[in-house]
This record gives sequence, structure tokens and C-alpha cells, in this order.
Amino acid sequence: MKTSRMLGLVMIAPAAIIILLFFLMPVILTAVFAMTNMSTATGISAGAYQVTQAAVNRLKTDMPELAAGISEPRFVIDEDGLTQLDALKLKPGFTAELRASHLGEVFLSRREAERMIKSLKERPSTREVKQISDVFNRSVMNTRFEDRAALMESLAKLGFKLSPQDEEKVSRATYTGWIWTADNFRTIANSQDMGQILLNTGFYVAVTLLLFNVGYALLLAVTTHYMPASTASVFRAIWLLPRITPVVIYVLMWKWLTWDNGFISLFMGLFGHPPKNYLLDSAGSAWFFVILINGFIGASMGMLVFSSAIKAIPQTHFYASEVDGANRWQQIRYIILPQLRWPILFVTCYQTLSLLASFNEILLSTRGGPGRSTEVWSLAAYHTALQNYTGNLEYGLGAAMALVLVVVGVILSLIYLRVFRYDTLVTKPLIED
Amino acid sequence: MAEKTAVPTNPASANFSGLPVIGLLTLLSLPLAVMYAYLFIDTISNSQGGSLVPSEFTLEHWRFLWETRPGKPNIWLVTLNTVIFTCCITAVTLTVSSMAGYVLSRLNVPARGFFLAGVMVLHAFPSVTLIIAIFIVLQYLGLYNSLIGVILVKAAIDLPLGIWLMKGFYDTVPWEIEMAGVVDGASRFTVWRRLVLPQIKPAVMALGLFSFLSGWSEFILPQVLAPGARVQVLSVYLAGLIADDNNFDFGTFKAVGVFYVVPVLILYAFFQKHLMNIYGGGTKG
Repeated sequence: MKTSRMLGLVMIAPAAIIILLFFLMPVILTAVFAMTNMSTATGISAGAYQVTQAAVNRLKTDMPELAAGISEPRFVIDEDGLTQLDALKLKPGFTAELRASHLGEVFLSRREAERMIKSLKERPSTREVKQISDVFNRSVMNTRFEDRAALMESLAKLGFKLSPQDEEKVSRATYTGWIWTADNFRTIANSQDMGQILLNTGFYVAVTLLLFNVGYALLLAVTTHYMPASTASVFRAIWLLPRITPVVIYVLMWKWLTWDNGFISLFMGLFGHPPKNYLLDSAGSAWFFVILINGFIGASMGMLVFSSAIKAIPQTHFYASEVDGANRWQQIRYIILPQLRWPILFVTCYQTLSLLASFNEILLSTRGGPGRSTEVWSLAAYHTALQNYTGNLEYGLGAAMALVLVVVGVILSLIYLRVFRYDTLVTKPLIED
Repeated sequence: MAEKTAVPTNPASANFSGLPVIGLLTLLSLPLAVMYAYLFIDTISNSQGGSLVPSEFTLEHWRFLWETRPGKPNIWLVTLNTVIFTCCITAVTLTVSSMAGYVLSRLNVPARGFFLAGVMVLHAFPSVTLIIAIFIVLQYLGLYNSLIGVILVKAAIDLPLGIWLMKGFYDTVPWEIEMAGVVDGASRFTVWRRLVLPQIKPAVMALGLFSFLSGWSEFILPQVLAPGARVQVLSVYLAGLIADDNNFDFGTFKAVGVFYVVPVLILYAFFQKHLMNIYGGGTKG
């Protein structure tokens, strides 16, 4: 008993670890990332504090005075500045006097600072005044602070007195890293684009599923059933090709077919139609080809599943029906289709999931175009988080969009698990050593 | 696939001819046939503008084999990457799922039912949706833009199917073989290694073939997780060529495509039956 357990655990460990790390963890992390505003701008590791112009703008509504103060430089007489002043090799009296009577003073503008400097005992020249004031010019604008304390310390040195609430506001406005937020879901719920994409997705999944993954697959299975075995296997081999062919080449062939110098254009040219890009010409034709491209791949699974289900029907049923004078349609309607109820449910479940999630083919063929007319949900998530033209990749929003699919995926696959013979699979092992 | 051949011309029907349906399917299959035929024809020929009939034989489209395009990695480096990528995925999937499948089929481990249910749910689960999270995880782990990272991810995604298939195949091996081994004093590990594994050689073969093809064809994972020039695989390389609007040249694209697809077609031609079994059992796509 014990040895078998140990061995079992050791042998299943690699699978468990790999699946846990690269499959289950991403499922959970999708949910975690969906609650953040991670993007290229915030980075994915902890951020820093930086008073950028954008941060100042954010502060303007709440704290206009502070925002105005932060964006202007201030002049602070501090030790750093004094050391720099020494290095400039001006008259030593300047440094001594500034240290003795002005150390720690803060001037709100260059004018005030220079007025003080002009009044120094050794009478600096105009040029020297400028040089001196420059060394004390202090600003937090565009400086990067690793943590909140460093930022607050710098602000305090510049003479900003902040209450704890103000500190909180300032630190939130200046933080460059990602934060926890539920905004992604609000964006998804409120955006017009998302509604359109949802409609696109529904249309795409329903039509492809109905016409090809189930409909055309049925046609293939039934027609190959009425053929000699060798001919049937040729057709099955041909229709399995789209699934076997790597997707990049498969889509390349379709691009060639529909391109404005490609097969359809040349062929239609024979009848006097001017060449055009049939793939991206209009939303309608783009959808037509997107569904064809995916449907041709999808049909093969249904074809194989339905074919083997039809093969399981005893031949005698067909012979009997023919003796009774049934025509082909009646054979299909009363013998074949009733046997295919479960296989059709199985394929529908399975392919709904994969159609919802897969965007390879659309990405490679239309990229969601023309415009955004063939953009589906999974492709939109990919475009949001991993590839877009604005350059700011919004991981958080993309993860939230993916999370919708993940939740749908988990629910559908749990249903799938309940419906399809799970309990029959868990038989007890026979050897208990 | 083996039909009963009692009625040689048409097994299903004595009253009807098969010709109309054959005609119909031939018509429907034409677009595929045309696309594949021209995939090969266009790589070794040029045709006059506006004509579908090739006018001359040429090898210029195959120049990419000995000339590296500016800004693109060397094709042989890319091929080597693809071979490493694919072989590692196959090796990992085969080893890990043949062990885990055996455990789930035969050994009494705690939470066995849970594992089984988990594997089945994950098998149906659309894994592409995880790509955003995986992208960020690999960045954290420092495995972004490395072959090892994308290999592990791809293997993890293929594993549930592999474990599921292997479990199914182990279930068909008679218990008596193991009983005999155990009675003769062999450990369970030895029994698995020496007695059971040889029984399911066809399964190992089928799964190996499947992983190889799925790894060779994979596009979106390497595209997102390892797009760099040094770790590029053929699918990413070809997609990059096609996306480059400045040099639009279908002849070259198709030549690279044929170079890329030939191993797949050869394997498919030889092992069609094995593959039909797996693809019929429900894979992603």
C-alpha cells in the first residue's frame, strides 16, 4: 500500500508541478491581474514615485495650491548647495554668510532668493547672483523616488506642509506603479466598443458552429458514409489537412486566394470584374472568409466524431430500411441523426469553447479588420494586452477581458465534465499492495 | 476506418449510387485542392501578371535558404530553434504524461478522483485565454524571450490531453500482466517500466506524433512569449515575413511555407491513422 502510494506521488509530481506552475497559476493570476491597472506605463513590478506633469494635473483639482507650488522650482539653502557653491570657487565669504544666517531658509521664487543673495555683505555681481541662486534651485519635478518616505522628505525640505490626508493624495497621484482597482470591469461594462465586440463574438461563434463545426461536419460524415471506403478515406484525409497544416501557412494560402492579385481576383477578372482584396474589401466579405477559414479547420473534428458514431450503427439497419424502400433522406433522418444526438452535443460543447478562445486565424488573416469589424472577444483581449498600435499595452484590462473567457471556460468545462461519462472513468485500482 | 467490404462498391447502400455525393464533395473540396496545389506550384515558378498558368521554372523563391534577409535571423538558426522547441515539447509531454497517466490508471494515490477531474476540465479548457497571465508570469520568472520558458508553457498546455490519452491507453492493458509481475516479486516501478510500457508502444507513438505536430505548428505562444531573433521559430519567422509590408512576395512566402510544412505533411502521410484517432478524440482548434 505504502510503496504504491509513494511511487504514485513521485510519478505524478512532475505533471502536477508543471500544470500547477504554467496552467493553474495563470488561471488564478488572470483574476489577480484583472484587478490591477498594470500596463506598459506602470510596469509589472513595484513602481516608484515621480512628480510628472501628469501627476501635477491630477493634483490640480483637489489641491490647486500644492499643484502650482510643486510645478515651480523653489530655492532652498542647504548643505548640498553650499558644498557646490564652494566648488564654484567664488568669494569664500558667500558660503560662510549663507551658512551662518540663511541655512534652511526656503524661497518660493527665484526673485525672492536673488533679492536675499544680492543683500549679502560681499556684494555679489549680477553674474554671481545667478550662479549662486542656480546651486540652490530645488524641484521635485521629474525626480524618481524609490519609496513614499523619500518623496515626502523631499517635499518637506522644500517647505510643503502636508497633512496625512494630503500625503495620501500626493502619493497616490505620483505613484507610477500599478495599483489595485476594479476600473477594468467598469470599462468593460460601460464601453460601447465592448458591446460591439460581444455581438461580433456571438455572431462568429454561432455561425461558425452551426454552419461548419456541426453542419458541414455532418454533411462530410454522412456523405463519406455513402461512399466506398477508399474514396471516403481520401476525402477525410483532405478535410483533415486544414487542421494538420500549421496555422501560419494555412492562413497564408487563404490570403493568396483572396488577395487583390490572387486566385479569386484573377478568376473573376475573366468575367470582367476588377481585382480587389476580397478578404478586407468590406465587413461582409471579411466575415465570410473568417468563418470559412475557421470553419474548414473546425469541420474536421466533427467529421471524425460523427463518422465513427455512424460506423457504430449496425449495417443491418440500413439494409432493412432499403428493403422497405426508404430513400436516403429518410435513412439520414430516422437512422443516422437519432444516433448522433450525443456526439453533436459533445462537439457543440467542445467547439464553442475553442471558438470562443481561439483568435490565431483571425489575427493572422484580418487582424480584426477592416476597421474593427471582425474583432472578437479573445482577439480584443490580445490586442489590448499584448499588441496594439498606441504602444501602451494594458495588461490589467486585457486580463479582465480574458477573465470573462476564463470564467465561461471553467463553467462550460465543468458542465462538460458532468455531462460526459466522468464517473465511469474513476474505477478503483485492482492491485492494492 | 475499416469498413465491412461485403458490398464492395458502396457499403452503406444497395439502392443508391455513390457518385452524386462523390461529385458534391469533390466540388466542395476544390478550394482546398487549389490552395494546396498552388502552394507548391508557386514556389518553383513565375507567371505573367494576371495569369494563373505558370510561365517559367525558377528557384529564386528559395533564395532564403542561402541568403539571410536583412533584419531577419538566419533560416537555419530558426530551423534549429524549431527542432529544439518541438523535440523538447515532445520529450517532456511523453515522459511526464506516460508517468502521470499510469498513476491515474493504476495506482492508488490520494485525491486520484480530483486529479482525474482536474485533468479532464483542463483538457477542455481554452488555454489561449491564459496567454496574458503567462506573459506576465514569464516576465517575473525571467523566462520571457527564452526557449525554455515557452517550451514549459506549451508542454503544460499539452499535458492534460496527453495524460488523458495515456490513461485511456493504460486502461486497455490487461491487469493480469501486472499481477504476474507483482507476484513474481517485481516492484510496481519495474512492472510499469518493463511490462506495461512496452504494451502501449502504439499509444506512445501516437502521442509523440501529436505533440510533435502540435509543437511544430504552434504560433501564438512563441509569437507572444519568445519573439526575439535568437529564439525565433519557423512559424514566427514566417508570420514576420508576411507582416512585413515592404517586401510583399507570395513566391518567397510560399517557399518558406513549404519548407516549414513538408515535415508535417510527410508525418501526416505516413501516420494518418494514428492521428485520426487523436484528432477525433477532441483537441483544440
